[in-house]
Amino acid sequence: MRTSNRLFTATLAVLAALSGVSSATAQVKPPVVIGTAVGLSGANSVVAPSVVQATQLAVDEINAAGGIFGRKVVLEVADDGSGAAGAQKAYDSLLFQKKVDAIISMETSAARNAALPIVTRARKPFIYTSFYEGRSCNRHMFINAWVPEQQVASVVDYFGAKLGTKSYFLVGSDYAFGRGMLEFTRKYITAKGHKVVGEEYLPMDGSDWTAIVSKLKASGADALISSTAGGAPNVTLTKQLRAAGVTIPFGNLAVDEGTAKSMGSDGKDVYTAGSYYTSIDTPRNKAFLAAMAKRFGADMKTPNDLSVPQYEAVWAYKLAADKAGSLETDKVLKALGEVSFDGPRGAIKMDKQHHAALNMYLGQVQADGSVKILETFQGVDPGTQCPNLK
Amino acid sequence: MTLVLDMLTTAAILYGVAAGLLIIFGVMKIINFAHGAFLTVGGYAALLVTHLGWNPWWSLPVAFALGAVCGAVVERLVMKPLYKRPLDAILATWGLAIVIGQCITLVFDRGVQFVQSPLSGAVDLFGISYSSYRLLVIPLSLAVIGLLGWMMNGSRLGLGTRAVIMNEDLARALGINTGLVRLATFSLGAGLAGLAGALITPLSSVDPNMGVPWLVNAFMIVMVSGVSLVSLGVACLVLGSAQVLVSTWANPILGGLTIVVLAAVILRVRPEGFARG
Repeated sequence: MRTSNRLFTATLAVLAALSGVSSATAQVKPPVVIGTAVGLSGANSVVAPSVVQATQLAVDEINAAGGIFGRKVVLEVADDGSGAAGAQKAYDSLLFQKKVDAIISMETSAARNAALPIVTRARKPFIYTSFYEGRSCNRHMFINAWVPEQQVASVVDYFGAKLGTKSYFLVGSDYAFGRGMLEFTRKYITAKGHKVVGEEYLPMDGSDWTAIVSKLKASGADALISSTAGGAPNVTLTKQLRAAGVTIPFGNLAVDEGTAKSMGSDGKDVYTAGSYYTSIDTPRNKAFLAAMAKRFGADMKTPNDLSVPQYEAVWAYKLAADKAGSLETDKVLKALGEVSFDGPRGAIKMDKQHHAALNMYLGQVQADGSVKILETFQGVDPGTQCPNLK
Repeated sequence: MTLVLDMLTTAAILYGVAAGLLIIFGVMKIINFAHGAFLTVGGYAALLVTHLGWNPWWSLPVAFALGAVCGAVVERLVMKPLYKRPLDAILATWGLAIVIGQCITLVFDRGVQFVQSPLSGAVDLFGISYSSYRLLVIPLSLAVIGLLGWMMNGSRLGLGTRAVIMNEDLARALGINTGLVRLATFSLGAGLAGLAGALITPLSSVDPNMGVPWLVNAFMIVMVSGVSLVSLGVACLVLGSAQVLVSTWANPILGGLTIVVLAAVILRVRPEGFARG
């Protein structure tokens, strides 16, 4: 008798709790869903966890500040497999099954190009947060990361002015970003009246730079500029250069801080340029790093030039939605080009033909793998990217 | 001169990478697709040595031992039941490569790791400066050739192994423990792969996929060279040189294709490849 009494009370309690929950959910407005497609597998998988963390932090902060119009923000992450086929699936699922309100993604160029027609069809705002080779234009897409116009100049100008180099050897991985970056670099160098004495590419998964290193040594170039795929090719190239005793100034257009760190002593003295380094000495960046450390503790992945724009883009979307006063696509798109978010990389406004003027930094890798900032270039303009977009 | 050294060192590296594959192929008639994974195990063995703060030279024996142990375990658990089904066995090694790769990812993460190199910098030789580590690979590979040659031709195990290669049933009838020979060869092959993995770390990155780019070239070289250690040396020298020449005079993208294309052509013209007879 006693047990059945207890059972009865327990059942009542559960029922009460359940009805409490259901009445609570009935009062809450539906959440704002932000979709993020990122390469959890494949080439981008090294950097993807840091990107997801930065996105999560922004979502948490926005929710703590009352969400968007008092609606909670929810994050949906999808794996794009770092490529076109995966991106098609990821975007179809995010836009048409999960019905996200906006997409904010750090992706490879191949994945972005595959995703754009789907975004256009779904008519949702899309913020692309990866630096890329430039000139990708779509009414629905805004970009808050750098393009070659913003990055290459800082390396070449520094080499020419401070190190007095006149002839350059270019080395890259054979894919859209590698070739696009170096093509721009070659034009920029020739336009400045300097010489490119060699330009060589290795397939993306190649690891044997023997012939290229020998050609570089034979060319007598003053400086080397590389734009390889992230991760492994950076490491193999740097190691084999160092083993061959190459000591000319080496500017790497595609190395992130994490990879630089993993190269140990071989990475020392490599020049790099980007819009974000953890060593940026501003209160805003320090506050961001502290928030990351507090949120993720020992599991924190080092924030980098691919993850921080993602953090800022989520905030920019919130500001745009607030300004538009609705989540309606056309209104949000208009507002996205007008709002400015003050993030770890400084105040950023995507008002330059859907791109943004950015503060760019030229850094040099130190013996302990950290990046020391040598020069800061304020508000570097992306140039003519999408003249046909308003 | 640089070109000659490039060709010699490339051949030496290829030899180190392909030797383990050849040993297993010779005895078991199985192409071991897990070779790339054992290579990766060797690379991570070098990483462990770096983490433990040992002298980087230790990475070579440690990598060999770790590879051999992995090989022995795999032989007993996975390969042995499949000896009567060689096609399934090949498929199993492929699956095994994925399993090993994922295990490494779980333990060490996907990121690129840094391994202390035993020798760095360049030396002056014949009036040019050349990577001292690459030069070192030449005597190391010669040492591997010498040791393997002695094992195959001068030791009891080698005698048994050659008997198994020629006629396994007859060898078993003569009282040779063929199961043991297979176990020994598989773990020797895996050990060699591990050694090669540690050998290439100063030139390569250490990440869970580090073995993959080497696997295809090693595979083609073994196809062309048949089962003899000497013809493997010839194949490495010819194909490695061709790769360096094409990379230097044409471009490295074509260079990456050279070994595969050339091997296919050689097999078409001369199906027995570089093997005698």
